[in-house]
Amino acid sequence: MAWALMQPQELNALGLRLRVRNADEEKHAWSGLMASAQRGDAVAYRRLLSEVRTWLRRYYAGRLPPAMIDDVIQETLIAIHEKRQTYDPARPFSAWLSVIARYKWIDALRTMKARHTETLHADVAVPDHEEAVTSAWSLERLLEQIKPAQSEVIRLVKLQGLSIAEASAATGQSAPLVKVNIHRGLKRLASLLRGELDAD
Amino acid sequence: MRTDPLIDRLTHDLKPVRRRTTLTDAGILAGLGGIELGLFLAMGFSRSDMPMAMHLPSFWWKLASLGLIALVSGIVAVVSFDPMNSPRRGLRWIIALIAACLSIGWILDASRDGAAMLLMRLDWQDGVQCLYKMVGLSVPAVITLGLLMHRGAPTDRDGTALAAGLAAAAWGAFVFVFACPVDDPLYVAVWYSLGCGAVTLLARLALPPLTRW
Repeated sequence: MAWALMQPQELNALGLRLRVRNADEEKHAWSGLMASAQRGDAVAYRRLLSEVRTWLRRYYAGRLPPAMIDDVIQETLIAIHEKRQTYDPARPFSAWLSVIARYKWIDALRTMKARHTETLHADVAVPDHEEAVTSAWSLERLLEQIKPAQSEVIRLVKLQGLSIAEASAATGQSAPLVKVNIHRGLKRLASLLRGELDAD
Repeated sequence: MRTDPLIDRLTHDLKPVRRRTTLTDAGILAGLGGIELGLFLAMGFSRSDMPMAMHLPSFWWKLASLGLIALVSGIVAVVSFDPMNSPRRGLRWIIALIAACLSIGWILDASRDGAAMLLMRLDWQDGVQCLYKMVGLSVPAVITLGLLMHRGAPTDRDGTALAAGLAAAAWGAFVFVFACPVDDPLYVAVWYSLGCGAVTLLARLALPPLTRW
């Protein structure tokens, strides 16, 4: 066989090309499945949603805390269902899916500010840290782009679970200022994400 | 998986959907606008001195400016109902257009009398009446744009709501031009800006939570 005579670099390049081609074919198939779903084909729609669910899990794994991922996937699937009339089969489904996934991601980050957080103890056993580490890296990269006073209180209150009073004592900011900085910081993060969307 | 029951529910008894297109939405808006304007004129609300007003540059400035702002804002709003389109660049164009319209009004005004007549020219009693009539005439457009926005999938709801508010406000003011007997650019700049500002603010505050998806 020809591939048996190939060098390792050539095999790697071939593998990459095949993976890209498979991904392209999969995304092309999604456009057809969605067009069928718009015509009322439930079988095509079920297959599409099942495949999209896997894609969404990978997409959110690097962007959200693991505990939130299932909820956001559900919300995104509902959004896809409710807005399926806005998909134009003449355009790539993956682009349409990406903007909806990103919209729901920004929405999830916004709701984080209203969500109560608990302090995590070091002795709590967790089976796998990979997703958490990836999310933390992604979040850390975003936090570097906002004002230090804002990122500091977001880290303390939203990530480490300190109360407003504790964060106030730790940073020297007044309690109302801590609240304002959290609010403005999260708003700025959402705006940064939206800016990336516009750039895309 | 946790999402299996959800997928079962979403695919159960799936109905075909009518695809949303920008042209359909634009057609609905244009149709509604035509009906509102036709009814307004047919009911005799048009100003009595219309033939004379049509010779005044300020009348045409008022009509053309508001018509253009309504048209551009409406296009920006409808285009942004598609999740893949952002309204931000369009909003910058609308702001530039409003600034250009007001500048032209100021140039027209500069050729008139001095500041001594200022209070009289502002005529606050008529102005307040103009304001609430403009707001009333904008309501059908706000509701229609809100419904179309709800049916669409805007990914920047704040920006889209702003564009929709500007479009509805400018449309209400455009229709009101046919009834408003005042052509003074200063009066128009002040009271029309207040009326349009109120409708835009209302739409900007009300539409994002109502069209959340």
